[in-house]
Amino acid sequence: MYSDLLSALPNVFAFANFAAVIIGVIAGIVVGAMPGLSDTMAISVLVPFTFGLEPLVALGLMAGIYNGAMYGGAIPAVLLRIPGTPAAVATTFDGYPMAQKGEGGFALQVAVVSSAIGGIASAFALMLLAPPLSKVTLLFGPSEVFWVAVFGLASIIFLLGGNPIKGLISACFGVFVSVVGSDPIYGNDRFTFGALELLDGINIVILLVGLYALPPVIDLLETPLKTDGVTGSKLGTQSMWKAMPRMKGFWKTWLRGSFIGIWIGILPGAGGSMAAFMSYNEARRGSKTPDTWGNGEPEGVAAAETANNADTASALIPALTLGIPGTAVAAVMLGGLLVHGLQPGPMLFRENPDVVFGFMWQFLFGAILLIFLGGSLATNSFARLLNLPRPLLGSVIIVLMLIGVYSIHGRMFDVYMMLGFGAIGWIMDKLKFPLPPVVLGLILGSFAEENLRLALRIGRGDWGVLFQNTTSLILVALTVAVVIGPILKRRLFDAKAKA
Amino acid sequence: MKKTLCAVIALGLGATAALADYPEKPVEVIVGYSAGGGTDVMARTVSQFLEPELGDGASVVVKNMPGAGGQIGFTEVAGADADGYTLGTFNLPAALALTHDREADYDVTSFTYLANFVEDPNTITVAASSPYQTLDELLAAAKADPRAITVGLSSLGGNDHFAANMMASAAGVEFTIVPFKGASNARTAIMGGHVAAGTMTLGQTTNFPDELRVLAVLADERSAFRPDVPTAAELGYDVKMSSLRGIVGPADMDAETAEKLRAALSAVNANPDFQTIMAEQGNPIAFMVGDDFAATAAAQNQVAADIWAQTPWK
Repeated sequence: MYSDLLSALPNVFAFANFAAVIIGVIAGIVVGAMPGLSDTMAISVLVPFTFGLEPLVALGLMAGIYNGAMYGGAIPAVLLRIPGTPAAVATTFDGYPMAQKGEGGFALQVAVVSSAIGGIASAFALMLLAPPLSKVTLLFGPSEVFWVAVFGLASIIFLLGGNPIKGLISACFGVFVSVVGSDPIYGNDRFTFGALELLDGINIVILLVGLYALPPVIDLLETPLKTDGVTGSKLGTQSMWKAMPRMKGFWKTWLRGSFIGIWIGILPGAGGSMAAFMSYNEARRGSKTPDTWGNGEPEGVAAAETANNADTASALIPALTLGIPGTAVAAVMLGGLLVHGLQPGPMLFRENPDVVFGFMWQFLFGAILLIFLGGSLATNSFARLLNLPRPLLGSVIIVLMLIGVYSIHGRMFDVYMMLGFGAIGWIMDKLKFPLPPVVLGLILGSFAEENLRLALRIGRGDWGVLFQNTTSLILVALTVAVVIGPILKRRLFDAKAKA
Repeated sequence: MKKTLCAVIALGLGATAALADYPEKPVEVIVGYSAGGGTDVMARTVSQFLEPELGDGASVVVKNMPGAGGQIGFTEVAGADADGYTLGTFNLPAALALTHDREADYDVTSFTYLANFVEDPNTITVAASSPYQTLDELLAAAKADPRAITVGLSSLGGNDHFAANMMASAAGVEFTIVPFKGASNARTAIMGGHVAAGTMTLGQTTNFPDELRVLAVLADERSAFRPDVPTAAELGYDVKMSSLRGIVGPADMDAETAEKLRAALSAVNANPDFQTIMAEQGNPIAFMVGDDFAATAAAQNQVAADIWAQTPWK
């Protein structure tokens, strides 16, 4: 099986396939660097444009964008204390203080090296774990898949932080959207109002573009960002050769961050931002000088940036093996794979080894390219992007959104639907309802429903079929832990505070 | 009067002239499924060979209109102008089965049947690790404990479903039908032992000789792809079901245009290069043209109507 990995390598270096990764990384850094524009948004806006491309060109672009955006988010996080992507929040803790001390350049160098290391580790995890895991997936029948979906929904609601009630409401909205269309067993129409366009349910890309792209664009246009001009001179940039030796003590943090990121990525539900927070906290706890953290400790930047890149490729492990995407980005990428005729599951690695393994290599090279494309000189130019006129940027994105959504099925119906979701997303954003649970509600809600009904059919109506084997029971236990864990933790914390 | 006559003659001449030139603009072939699927690949292969047969500079364009189990595409073809410039792929029994279980804007009479290319027979298949070595063993188990045998298939109202129903009634047993989303999910569930058996087509089993055991093929004759697998008829059950893929146009197509298309499609089928490519894709060819194809469609429509009447699935 691993020999397929090697034989897929030459094709990755075909000009168009490799160029796609390079362009993707650059585009990803640019998008990630623009506050409000997230990796999810970039990939979902661009994915319809890749449908007509060769598989490895399309997938290379996506892999590049994902890697690039996860690093790009660090640029405004460090320079302006505005996380470019949600996953870069933890980067602001130490990155911004470093920039104030005139070490912004070094902070970005730490970020780019850490991002690359996290991304490389994640790509290796995908390469090594996915093929053997794809065989284990035969263990996952309808009842197991049902529990995976329930676990993913529980973790996105309860672990994302913030307000679990709002998370629950968001997730319910997503699950409701998943109900639209013909039902998975009998094909009865639900909430379609006679529209053939709704019979297949609501395409995830339409929802994503509406929710993730329209609200930030509106914000972009209504609030001019005051940057007082970011310039290279303020960064205090030094050459990478001088910067590298200062990072030699970081290997522990890199290792820890990579593990945390990979693990969080594999679990459906939580994504990059949670990985970054966990890695930051763990690294701080392990540090000899915890007091310097939050005041410009380079290792803090390293911890956050390693982890938020380390969940990129690993998030695809459940998507490629079980066909269950654990994050919004993984869902869009899975959609991209399906468009190119690649069906996830145990057959994927056998029927299309060149494309699947090529895609994994592209993740690896995307991560390595970060160092070159996001290096000191380039980062200076990317930082200047923050000075771009925002109305221009906003209009370009809106045009891309409209064309992209139209091109999915070639119909205006989808465009109107996307605009509707955009309006809902904008209101939810203003009311501080989290958006990721909506997306996962749509994805996992339909998995949960379909597989619950299949399991009950197989069990001839006996609900005991859901608890019949070890895999199911482990997933039930994990779900329970996710739900009551935060509550117990809060109780303990309160008890301690009182004592 | 004279004027009218002139107009009629002019119209007549015009029509003949137009026909002689057909096709004078690109011919569109509508595929009701996404690019890359089995039907799409067939449409693209046929189109490629059809272009030279239609004459100099003819252009045949495949247009994917996926959605609603193919219904969006079938509806588009049925409602298009019958001028020969809009054709479509046609999947039997699926395209007609869905006219029974839901409101559809077309039925069996809405099409001009041009030519069928592929016929992929359904099978009775179990996992290689399954205790059932023969069809009789499987059916004996189903008889001993009604509904204990779960049968995974791609969706209700398709050939997989009809195959399971017909097998059950021929053998006098009851299965528990488990409709997965798509053939590939059903196949994975069979391989993982989550359902006892499946009715997927032979083409869907070809890449998995080590994981799947095909107990019987539901066709008149053994398949050239798997001559070792007996037919259900040989085993004493008169069950035939398959998935057919062909090309149709809207109803009431001008007879001459239809004949020209049928001749061109027959020439495509006669092309050895076409046969080679189809064989490489694992597509068993069952070429039927014109009335034969229309008769098959009518028969398939009757099968779907009967099953819908006896055991409605929704």
